[in-house]
Amino acid sequence: MSAVAILRAERLRLGYRNRVLAQDLSFEIDRGEILGIVGPNGCGKTTLLRTILGLVKPLSGHVTRDPTVTVAYVPQRERLETLLPITALEIVLMGRNARFAAWRRTGHNDRDAVRRALARVDAEALAPQLFRTLSGGQQQRVILARALAAEPDVLVLDEPTAGMDIASEAAILDFLRDLNRAQGVTVLLVTHMLSLVINLASTMMLMDAGTILHGPVNDIVREDRLSALYGVPVHLSRVAGQRVLVVGRHEASDV
Amino acid sequence: MFDAMFMRVALLASVAASVPLSVLGVYLVIRRVVFLGLVLANAATVGAAVAQIVDWPPEVAAVITAVATAFGLGALPPPRHVAAESVIGWAYAAAASLTVLILAGAARADADTLHLLYGNVLAVSRDHAIGLVAVGIVVSLLHVMFGSRFLLVTFDAEAAQVAGVRTRLWSMGLNLSIGVTAAVTVHEIGALLTFALLTLPPMAALLVGRRIRTVFVISALVGLGAVCLGLIAAFQFDLPPGPVTVALLALTVSVMGVAGRWRA
Repeated sequence: MSAVAILRAERLRLGYRNRVLAQDLSFEIDRGEILGIVGPNGCGKTTLLRTILGLVKPLSGHVTRDPTVTVAYVPQRERLETLLPITALEIVLMGRNARFAAWRRTGHNDRDAVRRALARVDAEALAPQLFRTLSGGQQQRVILARALAAEPDVLVLDEPTAGMDIASEAAILDFLRDLNRAQGVTVLLVTHMLSLVINLASTMMLMDAGTILHGPVNDIVREDRLSALYGVPVHLSRVAGQRVLVVGRHEASDV
Repeated sequence: MFDAMFMRVALLASVAASVPLSVLGVYLVIRRVVFLGLVLANAATVGAAVAQIVDWPPEVAAVITAVATAFGLGALPPPRHVAAESVIGWAYAAAASLTVLILAGAARADADTLHLLYGNVLAVSRDHAIGLVAVGIVVSLLHVMFGSRFLLVTFDAEAAQVAGVRTRLWSMGLNLSIGVTAAVTVHEIGALLTFALLTLPPMAALLVGRRIRTVFVISALVGLGAVCLGLIAAFQFDLPPGPVTVALLALTVSVMGVAGRWRA
């Protein structure tokens, strides 16, 4: 592993018994990087993420993680158990408690860390509310606060903007960018939204039907590469400093 | 009514069984595996039935089979083509049929057999009641100490695992405590009441409780109240206490359901 690498994957073969989603996959994730894993539904990006996290075993190959780094995971909201009547505060506290021994009681420091985490995602007012009564965007902020309460070196997010309106989506993206710049937190996110990754990530992994492109975003996001990968013309433009993708054939008069 | 020693012992056994079962059942209902309680209760009866044949202490055999079942089901990977509850249904069907087959093959098919299947809290001995109290205290202490861990793995096991929590171990510990409690109670109060106490008080509590701590307290109180009232009603009207208690619990769930809707 290189000096700044915190995770290394070697010759990974991903999938299930009779279905290989990706193979011969080797890469490193460096400290302070924002890596976006993007691809259509079912291409194996969540499987890759879960393999990186150690939640599933690869068919072959292996993942090595720097044992000194703290990793926090923000899963898809659908994976959470909503029958449990717990408040946003209690959920964020879980992120803190998971770091310590099971018999350790919650102290003032923990409660302060939890309040700070809630404040950072602008969710202080949600603290006493039942998690299951919150909107999708509010729930996402609470889960993010739970991850932050663990004071992680690496933040891993699975479809963090799914089901959000554009204002909430923009707020989450700004927050992740600031977190990475101000505190050097490594961010690893999976999404099916290419436009999200190309405006946030420093490196990306583009997955589609067994094909994987991995490298700096500027190298991957080229019209010829994307057009070849998706099989339709892909045009790249800039609006207000943000990259914009236009997919398909469009006449000039249509614009 | 409680002048007679057997009634006092029955009350003690009922209380000792109801509180831990009602508290542990909250996890089963939240994890959507309520029938795991039924499986563990029936696995315990399989063990007790085997014990009748090989002349072992039924309590020991019941604990062994219930714990083995809890571990076995906990160790299974999530099924890919059927729902997890289908596997639990399979285990229940297997355990229930095994119990009947083993007892049918056994030489002794008498009142002991009926006691094994349906339990009878009025026939509990003083020593067994004290044993129930001891198990109840140990299990309750474990949950006071480690309840936050059990909730952590119940809410989001994967995030907990990523954070370094040994989720499989904690899940197995939870199943183990449920298995042991179900095994020691099933022989005294029967599979039906054991399953009902694991399921109905938590349901009632979740219908009206707004906080998880409140849910645990309401569940324990509902279980406790039902077994006490069930025992009194059974004595007054000369009815079997187990089914009376289950009927009271079912009624309580209905009332709580209405109360929960009214509050909402």
